[in-house]
Amino acid sequence: MTDILQKLPFKITQLGIQSPEEVENIFAELRAAFDRELGEKHDIEGLEGIRIRWRGRKGLDRLLRDNWLKPESKFKPAVGKAYNDFKDYVESSLALRLQHLRAQEESREMAAEGVDLTLPGLAARRGARHLVTQTLEEICDIFARIGFSVVEGPEVETDYYNFEALNIPQHHPARDTMDTLYLDLPARALPEEIRGPRSDPNQFLLLRTHTSPVQIRTMEKQKPPVRVVVPGKVYRRDNPDATHSFMFHQVEGLAVDRDLTFCEFKGAMEYFLREFFGPETKTRFAASYFPFTEPSADLAATCGVCQGSGCSVCKHTGWIELFGAGMVDPAVYGFVDYEPGELSGFAFGMGVERFAMIKYGVDDLQLFFQNDVRFLQQFRR
Amino acid sequence: MKILLQWLKEYVDSGVAPEKLAADLTLAGMAMEGLSETEAGPLLELEITTNRPDLMSHYGVAREVSALYAKPLKPIEPQPVEVADLAAGAAKVEIEAPDLCHRYAALVLCNLKVQPSPEWLRKRLEACGIASINNIVDVTNYVLLELGHPTHAFDLDTLAEKRIVVRAAKAGEKITTLDGVARTLKPHHLVIADAKRPVALAGILGGAAMEISLRTKNVLLESAWFEPVTTRRAAKDLGLRTEASARFERGLDVEAPVRAARRCAELFLELAGGELLSGVIDVYPRRWDVPEITLRQGEILRTLGEALPAALVERLLAALGFVAARADQDSWRVATPSWRRDVSREIDLIEELARHYGYDKFPARLPPARQPVVLRPHAQAEAALRRALEAQGFDEAVCFTPVHPKDAEKFLAPGEELARLRNPISEETSVLRPSGLLSLVETLAWNVNRGQRHLRLYEIGKAYAVREGRFQERRVLTLALTGLLREKSVHEDEQPADFFALKGAVEAALQPFALPPFGFRPCDLACFQSGERATVEAGSQRLGVLGRLSSTLATDFKLRQAAFLAELDLEGLYAARLLAPEYRPVPRFPGVTRDFSLLLDLPVSFGSVRRTIESLGLPELVAVAAVDRFRGGALPADKYSLLVRVTFQSHERTLTDEEIRSASGRIVRALEKELGAKLRA
Ligand SMILES: [Zn+2]
Repeated sequence: MTDILQKLPFKITQLGIQSPEEVENIFAELRAAFDRELGEKHDIEGLEGIRIRWRGRKGLDRLLRDNWLKPESKFKPAVGKAYNDFKDYVESSLALRLQHLRAQEESREMAAEGVDLTLPGLAARRGARHLVTQTLEEICDIFARIGFSVVEGPEVETDYYNFEALNIPQHHPARDTMDTLYLDLPARALPEEIRGPRSDPNQFLLLRTHTSPVQIRTMEKQKPPVRVVVPGKVYRRDNPDATHSFMFHQVEGLAVDRDLTFCEFKGAMEYFLREFFGPETKTRFAASYFPFTEPSADLAATCGVCQGSGCSVCKHTGWIELFGAGMVDPAVYGFVDYEPGELSGFAFGMGVERFAMIKYGVDDLQLFFQNDVRFLQQFRR
Repeated sequence: MKILLQWLKEYVDSGVAPEKLAADLTLAGMAMEGLSETEAGPLLELEITTNRPDLMSHYGVAREVSALYAKPLKPIEPQPVEVADLAAGAAKVEIEAPDLCHRYAALVLCNLKVQPSPEWLRKRLEACGIASINNIVDVTNYVLLELGHPTHAFDLDTLAEKRIVVRAAKAGEKITTLDGVARTLKPHHLVIADAKRPVALAGILGGAAMEISLRTKNVLLESAWFEPVTTRRAAKDLGLRTEASARFERGLDVEAPVRAARRCAELFLELAGGELLSGVIDVYPRRWDVPEITLRQGEILRTLGEALPAALVERLLAALGFVAARADQDSWRVATPSWRRDVSREIDLIEELARHYGYDKFPARLPPARQPVVLRPHAQAEAALRRALEAQGFDEAVCFTPVHPKDAEKFLAPGEELARLRNPISEETSVLRPSGLLSLVETLAWNVNRGQRHLRLYEIGKAYAVREGRFQERRVLTLALTGLLREKSVHEDEQPADFFALKGAVEAALQPFALPPFGFRPCDLACFQSGERATVEAGSQRLGVLGRLSSTLATDFKLRQAAFLAELDLEGLYAARLLAPEYRPVPRFPGVTRDFSLLLDLPVSFGSVRRTIESLGLPELVAVAAVDRFRGGALPADKYSLLVRVTFQSHERTLTDEEIRSASGRIVRALEKELGAKLRA
């Protein structure tokens, strides 16, 4: 086979073409010649040389156009089409090869560095703090910023601290809302310093239904001003489901002083909810009743899902009910030998899991206590 | 409480849309629980707090609406027509227990026609969730929903001697109540009896034998006041909460009975014909003294932080039924209406004012800071523990403390008893856990059985037990490891959790605390596998226990892989000071290491090797490390080889070869002499 390239200096009419098929044949030979050259090993520079030779202004293309494309002949249309196809083929082949060479070059650079950058890094795995602890700490931290100290107390309590000193005597209807788990032990089983002089030693011990007993214990030990929050576990005789648990966590708080009014109460609560849920949060104070506060309020915040316009999460009210609070009922001061006429204060109590559920959209309370690591590790920080 | 808005409108017209009314009532303390459409029109469901039995009626809610919107409240003044015959001649009432029944009023009606109620009455009752029975019973229920005071109609002709005696039940006395249940009574239950037997449980439910039937013609209508705690205890004992008991147990209006009875009579005459005998049989042994409360502007300001205009105070109090008279420029004497037994103090009045003025109208102000904030005494210690453990990859668990006694017993220390609950929800949660170990074993099993096999967990919580009759609640830190510490990857081989990983975690937990030097000693705790269990002690103080979970317990808890657990006593740790970092000069001269390949008898521990070396008191000795340990192969069965690396360093100069040689020689001689060690080639 003669080298097709040697035919290029001749006019197409000189090549003795007899049919359109022969036109296609010579172009096929031309394409084969180009393929052979491209098939040799090249770097990007070498590829540029091929481009100039085949497509450059003074290269083979010029011969092609001058000698084969331009002369008039009865095969001119066939030549025109074949030329265009060939030109497209050359251009796209060069572009493809260039792309390929560039990619090769990049991976060569990478290989030169010695590591596969796509492999994962090597790091020690940090543990995740439980969402309950995180939320409880966040609540306490916010109150610490406005002057509240943190105190704790026992989970097993006497009837006196859990109910009586909070103005909830025996047979008070409010006891119904806090079904209580009792221990099979009389109060005298508690060390005296915890039992206190006012607890009946023969009454059964109980698992505290709220952390409020610690507020009483604090007031017994400390004269006003008092500003405390009390985090901890509390227990109710509730059957477990997606929103109930016989054990959960609360943060309750208490402020007693000479100058605290309903306005300071509102200020502290609004500050807390804005810090916890975000600066746009609005707070609703609805009148309510608790034996140890008066006036009492149920607090709600604007629904974070619909921003208050109403959705299924907030039952179309625009509000998410959060917790109970109010001004300390003066009757409570009598139990801790405070002077009611001179003092005032406010108290509040919130469920930690409920706050976490609202903030993170967790839909089942039981998840908090199953401790499935696939749940726990979602809250790693 | 279910409130029909059309019914409410008969007493007051709020002039606002139902949604607005619901929102406003919510703010005023009657939380909206639902708003729906019924055959009797729109129905509003309100949550009534336990202190407000007066709101368990349409008229009670109407009074609040009237105060909220300053709209007139229509009075209810029943005027039933009486015949000449005296009620007192037809029946007798005696109260034997005046402390428990402050008032008993009765009306007598004759020749009534018992029949189905008209449609309007049936629809209203049914919309409020009460089934229609007959016109007589329906009227008593209607008046209950209207005025909030329960009444009860007896078939007069079934009452022995037509006599009512209010008395304590006799022990063992029986009554079959309207619901068909035969009940045995106790002496603290209050009953309504006739001359022979109990005919009703006071304030709770009537007896079946005196029920109004189609044959009934003559009725004795009871409208009484029963003491709340007695009613409440009896209802609880008998497991019988009724519309009546739910109201009596919260303290009803002792001035309401006659009006409620007359309202019933009015409706009886309208719907059942008949005649009302004249007069009310009204036995009222314990009169209610109207409390008078002093209300001071100064106290309003001191409590609420805002002064309220006197005119507003007077308008709101009047609208709610209080009678306020100016005592002086800045105070009032306020008489409380009989239906507001919850109001007896100045603060109660202030709450009423705040509620109706609107909580939302008070400005919010941050309370002034008064003293430095004190975090919990051990807050820093706990934070140090959490940092140490989380840095080692431990995830925190929070576990239930009530547990199953059968599991709890396995973790009970000698001399301790379980703290049991009297009224547990279930057997599985009937004791308090004696140890955190139990909770983490369960947590490991939960996760492993769900395909999560490589776990590091910690929990900070409490353990509870009874020791010599004394209840103890102590803080504990529990650690658990199982599976792989590290899974195989392109970078590293896998590393299984083992006893030493646990020991390392325990050491890391103890590291922040200024404790006497602590050590690990073998122990015989049954929950751990023998040979891989220890106590950790500092001086005479036991800080905790650790080990590999015994195979028996692993099987019991369906945990099919090795688990390593520790429990540390936090009371002990929190009693210790936190270590502060201490500066020491950084060595300026290089350290030198020497390796000693020792052949040791099996009972000789690395610890005794280290102690022997340290007791030489070499001034340049810096560290003694175990680098390799080998048993078996060509070694005798009772021996093992240990490669020990000793580091020497001086702060004054570079050590000479001669000095190192001399020190090494002393080490080898001591190990040979004290421990029978042989230096291997
Ligand atoms: Zn919403």
